[in-house]
Amino acid sequence: MSIVTEPAPVPVGPGLSMFDPIFIGIDEFGQPVYITLAYRNLLAGGEPGGGKSGLLNCIAAHAALSVDSRLVLLDGKLVELGQWEDSADAFIGPDITAALDVLRRLQLVMNNRYAWLRAHNRRKVTAADGLSVITVLVDEIAFYSATVGSKQEQEEFVALLRDLVARGRAAGIPVVAATQRPSFDIIPTSLRDLFGYRAAFRCTTSNSSNIVLGHGWAEQGYSATDIAPTNQGAAYLIAEGGVPRRIKVAYLSDAQIAGIADYAAWIRRPGTITTPPSSPADWGMAA
Amino acid sequence: MSKSSPRRPFGGKSTGTVTVIEARVHRSWARNARMAFVLTAVIAGLLAAVVAASYMHPILALFVGVGVGVPLGGIVWVLVRIWPVIRLLWWWTPEIGLAGLLLVGWVQLASHTPTLVTLLVVALVVGVPAAVPVIRHQIMAWAWCLVVRHRLRVCFAQFIIANQSGSLPLILWATPTPVGERVWVYLRPGLSVKDLEARLDKIAVTCHASTVLIERASDGNAAYVRFDIKRREVLTANVGSPLVDVIDPDTPTVEQAPQEVPTALDLPDVQAPTITLPKQGGTTDRKPAATSTANGSKPAASSSTAEDDVSDWI
Repeated sequence: MSIVTEPAPVPVGPGLSMFDPIFIGIDEFGQPVYITLAYRNLLAGGEPGGGKSGLLNCIAAHAALSVDSRLVLLDGKLVELGQWEDSADAFIGPDITAALDVLRRLQLVMNNRYAWLRAHNRRKVTAADGLSVITVLVDEIAFYSATVGSKQEQEEFVALLRDLVARGRAAGIPVVAATQRPSFDIIPTSLRDLFGYRAAFRCTTSNSSNIVLGHGWAEQGYSATDIAPTNQGAAYLIAEGGVPRRIKVAYLSDAQIAGIADYAAWIRRPGTITTPPSSPADWGMAA
Repeated sequence: MSKSSPRRPFGGKSTGTVTVIEARVHRSWARNARMAFVLTAVIAGLLAAVVAASYMHPILALFVGVGVGVPLGGIVWVLVRIWPVIRLLWWWTPEIGLAGLLLVGWVQLASHTPTLVTLLVVALVVGVPAAVPVIRHQIMAWAWCLVVRHRLRVCFAQFIIANQSGSLPLILWATPTPVGERVWVYLRPGLSVKDLEARLDKIAVTCHASTVLIERASDGNAAYVRFDIKRREVLTANVGSPLVDVIDPDTPTVEQAPQEVPTALDLPDVQAPTITLPKQGGTTDRKPAATSTANGSKPAASSSTAEDDVSDWI
C-alpha cells in the first residue's frame, strides 16, 4: 500500500448547461419533452398532489447539474425544494423578509447585467458569455404573495417578482413559479400573464384550468379536468409549440433527488463537503 | 347535396335526415344531372360543329355537333345521376378492396391446395396476428382508423351540416396514434374550426372516443384541420429522469450542518399567542443584516431591516 495509482476522484460535472433543453418528461406519443428555460418563464398550477413539485425538482436537478447555473429557491413548505439547499445559492423558507432580500439582490444583478450588455452593444445573454443563468424557483408563490407578511411586503414581493419575470429573460434570470390556483387574488393578472410557458396539472374545474393555461383553452378541449386524480404528474404544457400538449412529468424519488443533490453539491463546492485528505494514502481510502 | 331527392336510391342512411335537409337544398340530383346534360351537350356540340365546319358544309357540321354533343352529355348525365353511388363506393374503397382481396385469396387458396393445407394456412394467417400482441394491436389500430373515418362522416352528415347544399368535408387519411387516431380533414365552405370546437363532445360520442381535439394542420390554409381522437390514457406509468444516470453513485454525501430541530410537533405543544414560523438555519446566515429579525410573523419590525439591506447592496 505504498503507491496509490488512483488519485482522488475529481469532481467532474456532467457538462450540462442551462442553455440546453431540459428534459421534463414524455408526451402522448412517447417522445421526450424538452423545454429550454434560459430565456423563458414557467408557471405551473394545479391541485395539491398533482405533480407540480415533480416538475420543479426536474428543473432544479438540471439546474444543479449545469455548470453555468445558479439556483435561487423560494419554498414556503421547506421540503419540496429543501434537498437542493446545498447546491443552491439561496434557499428561502417561510420568511418573506429573506425572500424580499434575495429578490432585491436579483434585481440588482439584473440591472447590472443589462448595463453590461448595453456596454457591449448586445441585447441578451448567450451561452458564450460565461455568465451563469440564475434560475429562480418559487414553490407556493401564494405563500409569499398572499399569506405571510404585511400587505406592503406582499405587494413588494409581487412587484419584484414581476420585474424579474418581465425583464429577467434576456439577462439570463428565468423564473419558474408554482402555485395551486394562480387566480387574480393570489397573484395579479399582470404578473400571471407574463409567464410564457404554462403547465397545468390536474384541476378541479375547467375555469381553474383556464386560469393556468390561459383563457379559452378549456373550450377548445384542453382542460386539465380530464386528468385522472390518480395520474400524478400528468399535465398540459404550453411551451415552444404554442398549443397545450399532454405530458407526463418525469418523477424523481427522494433518494434519487438526494443522490443528484449530493453530486451537484460535490461538483459545485468540492472543498466544502469532504475535508481534503492529508496524505495520498488517505485518498485511496476516500476513493 | 346527397340529401335532396327522395327518389334517389343511395347516398343517405336514414330517410328522416333526408326529409329534414331537403327543405334547405336548392337543386335536386335530377335537376343537376339535367343541367349537366344540357351544358355538356351544348358546349361539346358547338365546339364539334365549329371544328367540323372547316371540313364540310355547315349544316352537315351541325349534325356532327349534335352527334358528338348528345352522347357526351349523356355520359355526363349518367355520371352525375349515379354520383351518390360512386361516392359511396369511394368511401368504402378500403373495405371493398380488403374484402375483395380476402375473397380472392380464399378462393385461390381453396382451389389450389388440399383442405388440410388450406385450413393450416388460414389458421396461421388468422392465428399468428391474433396471438402476437404487437401485431394484434397494430391491426386493431388501423381498423379503428377505417372506422373513425366513417364515424366522422356520420358526424358531418348528421349534425354538422353547414352549407345549403349539405356538402360534406373531405375526410382525408387517418393514422393511429398511441392514444387513438389522428384524422386529417379538408373543410368545405360553411365550416370553421370554431364551429367544430363547439361540438367536440358530440363528435367524441359519435366516434366512440373519450375526447376529441381539433387543430389546424396548416398555417396557410384554415380549411385543412386535424382531428385528434383520444380513446385511451397512455401517460399512466412513471417516467424516470435521465439525470439519475449521469451522476456518480459514489459521491461523498454532504455533511449536513446541524439544524435546529423544532420540538413542538403536536397541537397541545403550541400555545395560541406564541406561534412562530420555523426559522431558516443555514441560508440566512449568509446575509448578515437579515438574520436578526428575519421572521415573516413580525413584519413591522423587519421592514426597516429590509430597507437597510437595500442600502447595503447598493
